[in-house]
Amino acid sequence: MSFWIPLAAALAVGLPALATAWAQSRIGPAGAAALAEKPELTTTVIIMVAIPETMVVLGFVVAVLIMLRGGA
Amino acid sequence: MILAMARVRILGPRERLPAVLEQLQDLGLMHLAAPHDLPLLEPVTRSTREERLRHHLSSALEDCATATRLLGATAVGPAAPGMVLPALVHQLRRIRRQAEQLVARVQRLEEEQALLARYEAVFHAFEPLLATQPRWASGRAYHVVLRAGQRESVEKLRAELTALLGPAFEIRSHPLPAEETAVLLLVPEHAAARVEQLLAAGRVSEVSLPAGFAGQTLAQAMPAMLERMRQLPGELSRARREQAELRRRTEPLLRQGSRHCRDRLAVLEARDLSRVTTHAFVLEGWLPADTRPKLRLALDRRFGAEVVLEELGQDEWTAEDAPVVLRNPRLFRPFELLVSLLPLPRYGSIDPTPFMAVFFPMFFGLMMGDVGYALVLLGGGVLLRRRHPEAGWQRSLAEILVACAVFSGLFGLCFGELFGDLGRRWFGLHALWFDREEAVVPFLILAVSLGAVHMLLGLVIGAVNAYHAHRRQAIGRGLTAIMLVLVIVALLASVEVLPRPLLTPVTIVILVSFPLLVVVEGIVAPVEFLSTLGRVLSYSRIMALGTASVMLAVVANRMAGAFGSVLIGVLFALLFHLVNFALGVMSPMIHALRLHYVEFFGNFYSPGGVAYRPFGHWTPPPSRPA
Repeated sequence: MSFWIPLAAALAVGLPALATAWAQSRIGPAGAAALAEKPELTTTVIIMVAIPETMVVLGFVVAVLIMLRGGA
Repeated sequence: MILAMARVRILGPRERLPAVLEQLQDLGLMHLAAPHDLPLLEPVTRSTREERLRHHLSSALEDCATATRLLGATAVGPAAPGMVLPALVHQLRRIRRQAEQLVARVQRLEEEQALLARYEAVFHAFEPLLATQPRWASGRAYHVVLRAGQRESVEKLRAELTALLGPAFEIRSHPLPAEETAVLLLVPEHAAARVEQLLAAGRVSEVSLPAGFAGQTLAQAMPAMLERMRQLPGELSRARREQAELRRRTEPLLRQGSRHCRDRLAVLEARDLSRVTTHAFVLEGWLPADTRPKLRLALDRRFGAEVVLEELGQDEWTAEDAPVVLRNPRLFRPFELLVSLLPLPRYGSIDPTPFMAVFFPMFFGLMMGDVGYALVLLGGGVLLRRRHPEAGWQRSLAEILVACAVFSGLFGLCFGELFGDLGRRWFGLHALWFDREEAVVPFLILAVSLGAVHMLLGLVIGAVNAYHAHRRQAIGRGLTAIMLVLVIVALLASVEVLPRPLLTPVTIVILVSFPLLVVVEGIVAPVEFLSTLGRVLSYSRIMALGTASVMLAVVANRMAGAFGSVLIGVLFALLFHLVNFALGVMSPMIHALRLHYVEFFGNFYSPGGVAYRPFGHWTPPPSRPA
């Protein structure tokens, strides 16, 4: 397996992971502030925090496919 | 499902209104609403006496709540009939005052005790030093506590005082906990000003005494403070005993008084919703359609022909105004908890609870998919269910966990997993369907296919839901569903799962349907259709989380052999499995919820329903998860 396939897979999951982390770093404090005033929003906030995870989840799927197609 | 509601109107002689309200409160069936505007009907005017009564009830309720909170009493209990209001108001006010006084006393004593406790170590340190003080009756004493790291200041101070006063002073020190040092300094009266300057320059201040002992020296205040410290525990326990006794004595009255006041206030509020003429009254409201005979029977029995109950036709009310009651079969009922975390669905729309009861544990099981973890989860669920046999959110959660555990176990058998690959290695367990560790692509196809089915179901429900009120929207949803099917067929044909000749006609149909969709739903239709496809792909998280879960379990098992010591390896493996289990419960729960709330509900869910709150005797509100 060439050097580029694992690198591509790592980038496929790594870059969305950074994007997810950035998005969650914005949603998290806003959610915490909302919870301080309205604790009944807990579930909504948890869901909100989970929403950007779609990016890293899809990145992971793409990374797996890259590795499989690359012959890992 | 959302129960069918009926809107009813009750008419009768005006003087019977209080009795009718009393009967309705006993029945607890009718969700009252202001009657439609009809000629000659007007709201009941409040008399001064009623305003006063309302004020008394509100303040009695506040007294009751304050006393209950201060005494730590239980607010829930049976109602007591025949309470006399003026006496009750006075009793509750008296109890509140007593509770406030007692609580303030306990608080004052606790604060005093905490304050004096801070001096305890200082007293013990100065006790041996103070023996020196009487010899200096004409001198001046300084009581100083040096902070940690200032201990060498004693010698420095001694050197400076020697330079200043010669041998005419005495300095004694005693170590304190936390590396502090108690210092007693005795100097002649005439040297006091210079010594104070020296202490100020060294940023050393004297021990300050509590406010009650201000103006005294430490030596003078100490005996009194020690005596007070000895008295305080007794006084405190006496005050607490009195508080407990007051709670024991007044708890039943607080419970009953609270209920009584709430019930009477509810009657007054219900009265505001009635309309009257000079001789008659009208009350309107909602009740589940199947309880109409019960209401009719109760009114007939008590009032005969005097009071009339009539049902309003559906043309006289709108679905938006009707309150919502969710009622599902016992098997599905726990999942109402998950639906209740969102605003209620509107009356006339579809209750998603049954769909959630089927798909939520299925998605969870696909993600966890391990017999070992499923057994642990089942144990947790059963334990929680036993601890909370009464209806409530904890019981619902326990039952949801059990359902999730059952699905996880079943999928665990399908994937041949017991704590990862341990079942395979130790017990020769084999995958009945496919091995998630190896078959990543089939798992991905399964996850996305399930997503397609789930989304299609959502679109169909959305079309059915919107059919009566928003025909255009219903057609749009239907068209989107058809196009989604066509896209799937085209994809399957392109990879030759379906016959390849299908590809061209299906693509043509998609291209033709697209403008049709734009005509029906507007210019946003293409964007919405693409977002629908994106939402189908979002279900690939089932595969991603499932694969991550099995990989982590396999890593945990390999850890056992990766360390030199078997014991350390097994401990690490157990810890890793524990972490994986915690992740394996949290993540699938959150992601399965997200798939429902965002992806599935987005197709049909209409929030904004009004909760059904029947007029009845007060009951404590059901507990809700945070």
